[in-house]
Amino acid sequence: MSEKRINMVEKSNNKRQRVNQVPEFNINDHHDVLVEIFRRLDGPSLCSAACVCRLWSAVARNDSIWEELCFRQVSPRPSLSLRSVVSALGGYRCLYFLCIRPVLARLPKVLWTRDQLQLSLSLYSVHYYERLHVGAWLGDAPPSSLMFLRKPVNVV
Amino acid sequence: MKKMKRGHEETWDPPPQPQGEGPSMADKKADDNNNMDELLAVLGYKVRSSEMAEVALKLEQLEMVLSNDDVGSTVLNDTVHYNPSDLSTWVETMLSELNNPASSDLDPTGSYVDRSEYDLRAIPGLSAFKTEEEEGVDEESSSKRIRLGSWCESEGESTRSVVLVDSQETGVRLVHALVACAEAIQQEDLNLADALVKRVGTLATSQAGAMGKVATYFAQALARRIYRDYTAETDVSGGLFEEVLQMHFYESCPYLKFAHFTANQAILEAVTTARRVHVIDFGINQGMQWPALMQALALRPGGPPLFRLTGIGPPQTENSDSLQQLGWKLAQFAQNLGVEFEFKGLAAESLSDLEPEMFEIRPESETLVINSVFELHRLLARSGSIEKLLATVKAVKPSIVTVVEQEANHNGIVFLDRFNEALHYYSSLFDSLEDSYSLPSQDRVMSEVYLGRQILNVVAAEGTDRVERHETLSKWKIRMRSAGLDPVHLGSSAFKQASTLLSLFATGDGYRVEENDGCLMLGWQTRPLITTSAWKLAGATESRR
Repeated sequence: MSEKRINMVEKSNNKRQRVNQVPEFNINDHHDVLVEIFRRLDGPSLCSAACVCRLWSAVARNDSIWEELCFRQVSPRPSLSLRSVVSALGGYRCLYFLCIRPVLARLPKVLWTRDQLQLSLSLYSVHYYERLHVGAWLGDAPPSSLMFLRKPVNVV
Repeated sequence: MKKMKRGHEETWDPPPQPQGEGPSMADKKADDNNNMDELLAVLGYKVRSSEMAEVALKLEQLEMVLSNDDVGSTVLNDTVHYNPSDLSTWVETMLSELNNPASSDLDPTGSYVDRSEYDLRAIPGLSAFKTEEEEGVDEESSSKRIRLGSWCESEGESTRSVVLVDSQETGVRLVHALVACAEAIQQEDLNLADALVKRVGTLATSQAGAMGKVATYFAQALARRIYRDYTAETDVSGGLFEEVLQMHFYESCPYLKFAHFTANQAILEAVTTARRVHVIDFGINQGMQWPALMQALALRPGGPPLFRLTGIGPPQTENSDSLQQLGWKLAQFAQNLGVEFEFKGLAAESLSDLEPEMFEIRPESETLVINSVFELHRLLARSGSIEKLLATVKAVKPSIVTVVEQEANHNGIVFLDRFNEALHYYSSLFDSLEDSYSLPSQDRVMSEVYLGRQILNVVAAEGTDRVERHETLSKWKIRMRSAGLDPVHLGSSAFKQASTLLSLFATGDGYRVEENDGCLMLGWQTRPLITTSAWKLAGATESRR
C-alpha cells in the first residue's frame, strides 16, 4: 500500500514538474482576447461580466464593445464618422444605456433602420447639450429630457 | 355613535307610570316629555326622550351612508353645524345635506329643476333621473347612488332620499358652468358672470385630475377678463421666466421634441448637398433644436457643412447678454462635433421689425433656411405685421421655411367661440400631460403653468396684448400661399422618427402622428394639437441644393 502511495506521489511530482515547464495560460493576461470575447456578448451578459472583477470591469468599458452592441442589428453598418461624433457626445456605452437600451426595451420589435438610429442620436445630442450647458441654469434639478425613457412603461 | 345606541337601548322603555297619580305625577310626566334624556345628557348630548326613537333611526341611516361611501364624507365637510350637541337637529342637517348636495348651487343654465316628491334636483345636461318605485333595492347603480333603506317607512314620511355622487357629473357641471360664464361675458352680463366664475372656482377644487386644473386656469382667466385686470408682462424677467417654463414643457411632453425633430428632418432633406448652411431661427429660446441638427449634419456623407445660425430673441437688458452666451454654448457643442460654426444673435421686440439687411446673408455661397416654432401667430395681433414678415422672408430667398404652429382656432372674432375652442384644446393638452405617470412632478407642474399663461392670454387679453392667436393649418396655408410660398412635403423619414419618438413616451398610445397633405400633425387621442409644415418660394425648383 505504501509503495503504491509512493508511486502516486512520485507520479504527481513528475507531473507537476512537467506542468511547471509550460507557461500557464491566463485569459486575464490577454486583454485583446477578452475584448473580442466581450464583443460577442449580449447586453445582460456583458453587464454580468463587468461585475466579475476589477480587471474585467475596466476591460468592459472599452467603447468598441458597446459600439458592437449598439449596432449589431443595424445594417448597413454606420460610417466611421459616427464613431467620432458619438465619442464626442459621451461614447457608445452611455449611448447604449441612455438611449438604445430603453428603446429596445420599450419597442422590442422595432426594426433598427436609419430613422431609429437618427432619433436615438438626436435624443443623445440633446442630452449631452443639456448636461453641459442647461443643467445649472434650471436650478438644482438635473436635466431630464431623457427622463421619459428611464421610467418603466405603465403597461396594463 | 354605537355608544350612543347602547345608551339609547338601555333607556328605551320609559319606566311605566302608575295610573291615577296625583297632579304632581302628571306634572312630572309633562316635564319628562320636555326634559332631555338624562343618560345622554351626562355624555353631553341633548336629546328629548320623546324623540329618541327618531334620532336613533336617523343615526343608523347616517352610519350606513358614511360607511358605504367615503365620498359622502367629503360632501358633508361643507355643511355648517351650529349646535352639534342637539343631536336631533344635527342628524337632520347631515341627512338633508346628503340628500341635496347641490342645494346651494346656482342652476347656471337655467334649465328645469324637478321639485318632485323625491326630493331630487335634475342635473342640467343629463337625462332625467328615473327613480325606482320599489324599495329594498339596495344594489348600487353605476352612478354610485346610495339608497337609504326601507326603514325610512317607519318614519311615516316618504322621503325616498337618494344621494348622487359621481365625479363625471361634477365634470359635466364644471364645463357647463364655464360655458355659461363665457356666455354671460359675451352678453355683457358681468354680474352673472362674476357669480358663475366663483361657482366654477369652487366646483373646480373638488374635481380631481386634468379637468379640475384646466377649469381652475380658465376660471382665473375669466375672472381677470371680468375685472379687466390683464397686464401684459413686458419686463425682461418675464421673458426669462417664460423660457424656463418652456424648458420644463420641453422635458415633460413630446410636443416640442416633435416640433424640433420634424423641422430638423425637413431642413436636412433640403440642404443635402449644400456646403454652407445658414439657419435663421425666429425664436431661439435656449437653442434646444440645434444640437440635434448639428449632429445630423456632422454625420452627413461627405462631412458637415459650415453651419451658421442667426438666433432672434427678445430685447436684452443691459447687464445680461444671454444671446451671446447661448451662442458660445452652441459653439462649444459644435466644436466637440467637429462642425464649423458661426453664431449671430439679433434682439428684436417683434419679428416684423426685422429687415433683410439685418441677416447679412451671403446668397452666392450659402443655403438659407428659416425656422419658426410657435412664433408666427404672435404677429396676428397687429394688422400688417405678418404680411411684412412674410415679405421679408421672401426677400431673403430661403431654400426652405419650416413652420410649427398650434392647430387650433383661437383667433375668432366672437369671444364665446374662441372660449369654447380653447376649452377643448387645452383640455386635450392637460389630459395628455396628466397621464404621464413617469414624470417628475416639477416638470409637469411648470408645464401646466406654461400652458396656463397661454390660457390667460387667449381668454383675458384683447387687442395687441392678445398674442396667442393660434390658427389652423388651412388658414396658414392660405396666408403662406398669398405671400408667395408653396408647400413642401415632409418625407416619410420625419414621419417614422416622429412615430418612434411618440411610442417611447409612457402614454404612447394616446399620441397620434398624422400626415395631412405633406404636413405632420401631432395630436392627443383624436384631436390634432400641433402641426409642422415646410414651405419654399413659389416657382422655385424642387431640386434641393
